[in-house]
Amino acid sequence: MKNIVIFSGSSHPHLTDLICKQLDLVPGKCNLSKFSNQETNVELFESVREKDIFIVQSGCGHVNDNLIELLIMISACKITSAKRIVCVIPSFPYSRLPNSPYTKNGNTISRIPESEKSKLLNLTRKPEHGEPIKQKKNVSITNLGEIPASNDHSGTYKHWTCRAGNLVAKMIVEAGADNIITMDLHDPQFQGFFDIPVDNLSSQLLIAKYIKMNIPDYQQAVITSPDAGGAKRATALAELLKMTVALVHKDRVFHNDEMSLVGDVKDKVCIIIDDIIDTSSTITRAAQLLVNNGAKKIYAIITHAILSGDAIQKVNDSCIDELIVSNSIPQDEHVKACTKIKVFDIAPLFAETIRRIHNGESVSTQYKNSDIYME
Amino acid sequence: MDAPSNSIKIFAGNAHMELAKLIARRLNLDLAKAAVLKYTNNETSVTIGESVRDEDVYIIQPGCGDINDNLMELLIMIHACKTASARRITAVIPCFFYARQDKKDKSRAPISAKLIANMLTVAGANHVITMDLHASQIQGFFDIPVDNLYAEPSTLKYIRECIPDYKEGKVVIVSPDAGGAKRATSIADRLDLEFALIHKERKKANFVSRMVLVGDVTGKTAVLVDDMADTCGTLGKAAQTLVENGATKVYAIVTHGILSGKACEVINNSALTQVVVTNTIPHEDKKKLCPKIATIDVSPTIAEAIRRTHNGESVSYLFHNVPA
Repeated sequence: MKNIVIFSGSSHPHLTDLICKQLDLVPGKCNLSKFSNQETNVELFESVREKDIFIVQSGCGHVNDNLIELLIMISACKITSAKRIVCVIPSFPYSRLPNSPYTKNGNTISRIPESEKSKLLNLTRKPEHGEPIKQKKNVSITNLGEIPASNDHSGTYKHWTCRAGNLVAKMIVEAGADNIITMDLHDPQFQGFFDIPVDNLSSQLLIAKYIKMNIPDYQQAVITSPDAGGAKRATALAELLKMTVALVHKDRVFHNDEMSLVGDVKDKVCIIIDDIIDTSSTITRAAQLLVNNGAKKIYAIITHAILSGDAIQKVNDSCIDELIVSNSIPQDEHVKACTKIKVFDIAPLFAETIRRIHNGESVSTQYKNSDIYME
Repeated sequence: MDAPSNSIKIFAGNAHMELAKLIARRLNLDLAKAAVLKYTNNETSVTIGESVRDEDVYIIQPGCGDINDNLMELLIMIHACKTASARRITAVIPCFFYARQDKKDKSRAPISAKLIANMLTVAGANHVITMDLHASQIQGFFDIPVDNLYAEPSTLKYIRECIPDYKEGKVVIVSPDAGGAKRATSIADRLDLEFALIHKERKKANFVSRMVLVGDVTGKTAVLVDDMADTCGTLGKAAQTLVENGATKVYAIVTHGILSGKACEVINNSALTQVVVTNTIPHEDKKKLCPKIATIDVSPTIAEAIRRTHNGESVSYLFHNVPA
């Protein structure tokens, strides 16, 4: 292939190597480091003028460092006349954000580490000083009757957490990206945040292939979604493989953490399907519920395995028998720490997509024609 | 009908809470309620605890420490206030991010400062207040107003009040490199003092090889002035050069004391009598390692700039005066 350079960010060089190997290329030479004051330093040693540039950077590890590094790499390519800059972001950062630091029943959510909890006290502290410089005036609005404006909103204001996905999208576009390749976005609507084309690849066929090849008597197993949000993903896969479905859902009616199960899993093998495993609390608890309901073996197949905090410990202690994850995020450390983890390779999917984008071919037809999914 | 008067909210990220508190206290305000924290997967989370609708919002976050984390905190806070209908959002960045990566000095070198300017704009900032930009041309990277404050008035005050020998006029202002000559001559002129220049040959970044002194410092107190001190290699060598040329004492007055790497060690082992930095960057932990560090508080200048911006007054008074 001519006029193409694939650069690797520092988040996941191994994946870049795998992709380049498929395409018979070598990754572009560059130096990614930090100055002594912690600023990111990017030096590209390969000419990019009038070339197709692909930058592989996953949202993992030190997410912010990796994101800023990606932005600087895009910008460096942009100002040196690259023809097209394509960001390959297998696991998209800031794509799954809660809207409050608390769960419905008042506990802090599991992804806030113990050391950060004290900062939440800020939200409820009492003012130390007097009145602000200027007090808001009560404004009466004509013709709408008397609407008294409250002077003090602090007592009633409901705190909320900023969802930064839209911001991250705008930042990547602003830096100069022309195209995004990602996989299994948590919300498919996320694509609408971008003003540039987004190819949201699906791992569904890779997962289907894995199930067919590695899970004995898979037709008898039950595909399970660990929460209501993932029901669509699970049913689509079940339909493809002609399997039955069960659904775990967090019972929100009673404002407690009880989970309930819809569907029959007694004496069955369960395959939990989800897009992201982070602190693993949802999935391990769903697995426990399935076992309590008579499931005899639990597989979990999840695309993006962030496994932060004490997730590995939780998986080890849980009744999940096998955790199958993709290499959208580096898994070497996780595999060492947890023997239940098996990894399937997504590099062929990305390599084929890169080849098609570079050659101007359709990306979607690869799902039908490619030999990646052949058994 | 009276237009609703918008009031002021001051938020702070985690980069420099002490400075934010000093500024807020000076303005007789509380910092607005927000929880800025990091999830277990290292993503930054910003929770806003009070209404900013139609308010004049100021977010204080200098570029220091874990630069990229602090930058993301600032961007997400701006974005949060933007989406919550703030009337105007001013990013107060006493020490600008990536200020030294401001030119394409070799093939494919990124102009990261320009990238940061774009990111701040895209996040929703309407205005930027900063101090002693490494190159004032960085203001041109923005399409929004940038107020570049000067630490110079505070520096002059410090020299007048705290440098011994000033009253006898036995002080020489020294620029540690040719690039800072303008800054140093300006200070020397305002104080009616002699001026000297150190010329250095730089072969690699953060590495200084040979120094030549232009001007006379014999028997005098030399005051090195610069906009930032990072690894302090330059300052250490400059002090050595000054002492070799007969200076009795060497002070360094620097706006942004990044003091990364082995800076403290370098200062301790150098000929410097004192290194004076402003509190645009937190350095309390550095002070414990290095007793030669002294602080100039610039929070009055920043607070006054915020007050004037909020009330629609001119800030140019602050370019030459320290608020009382």
